[in-house]
Amino acid sequence: MNTNPKFVYSTLIATTPEKLWAALTDPEFTAQYWGGTRLESDWTAGSRIVFRWQGKIVHDDTILKCEPPRLLSYTFHPLHMEELRSEPPSRVTFEIEEFKGQSTRQGPVVKLTVTHEDFPADSKIFPMISNGWPDILSSLKTLLETGRAIEFAKGT
Amino acid sequence: MEKPKFVYVTHINTTPEKLWDALTNPEFTQQYWGGRRVQSDWTVGASIKHLKADGAVELRGEVLQAEPPRLLSYTFLTASGDRVPDKKSTRVTFEITTAFGVTKLTIVHDGFEPDSKLVFEITNGWQAILSSLKTLLETGAPLPFNYKC
Repeated sequence: MNTNPKFVYSTLIATTPEKLWAALTDPEFTAQYWGGTRLESDWTAGSRIVFRWQGKIVHDDTILKCEPPRLLSYTFHPLHMEELRSEPPSRVTFEIEEFKGQSTRQGPVVKLTVTHEDFPADSKIFPMISNGWPDILSSLKTLLETGRAIEFAKGT
Repeated sequence: MEKPKFVYVTHINTTPEKLWDALTNPEFTQQYWGGRRVQSDWTVGASIKHLKADGAVELRGEVLQAEPPRLLSYTFLTASGDRVPDKKSTRVTFEITTAFGVTKLTIVHDGFEPDSKLVFEITNGWQAILSSLKTLLETGAPLPFNYKC
């Protein structure tokens, strides 16, 4: 039995696949809901993607799949802490689909599913991302629906 | 074998009091919970019912914990309701905290049998309900879809 941890989270957002795609790939946008982090890439499979925070590169990764506005996947390897840097890269995938469910829609609703996997069994990063993704994805949803991200207070 | 459970965390731009009201006021729940009115007097041991738009009872349960505006827990007689009355009740717990100045809602739905398929079925339902709840509290209107009841 595979015991390696895997994180899966879905959220429904009142937006279009194109706007959600832009929010995931435009550094001006990511900085607003991702704690000031700019995601920089030319967004083609095989290309480099860097996370830049306060001018420093905190992730240096590779785009694995890029099919706008439906599917995005890249390696995930935090560099800013020694104990995390030694862990092999994991992989995060974003899937965007129009939400249907048991509903009659009156406006655009998309379902975003984030899957983060390929962690070692004793991963130190996994518990951190398990807390981090709900923060980031809650704020992303708020930004797309209200025009402003959640403002998390510092410190407490 | 570990028993399956559903765990979900969402951060909402609201107060714990407004979130509590949204979880316990049937006028509020019917806006985001697939048209369902969630009714109870919200005291420990009280009954709780989920009513469809036509007034039919879809789900029954019992309030296990009610500490407004922080902790609410009740049993849930399976997502398929009265169709399988012999099945053991499952349990849902809502925990409301304040983290970094923002209201954090943690939902745990547990008590499933080890081989339960139900946990996968309820996952889609909770994601839609909780997404629409957040949208309603932050924008004043739920996600723009109607459930067939």
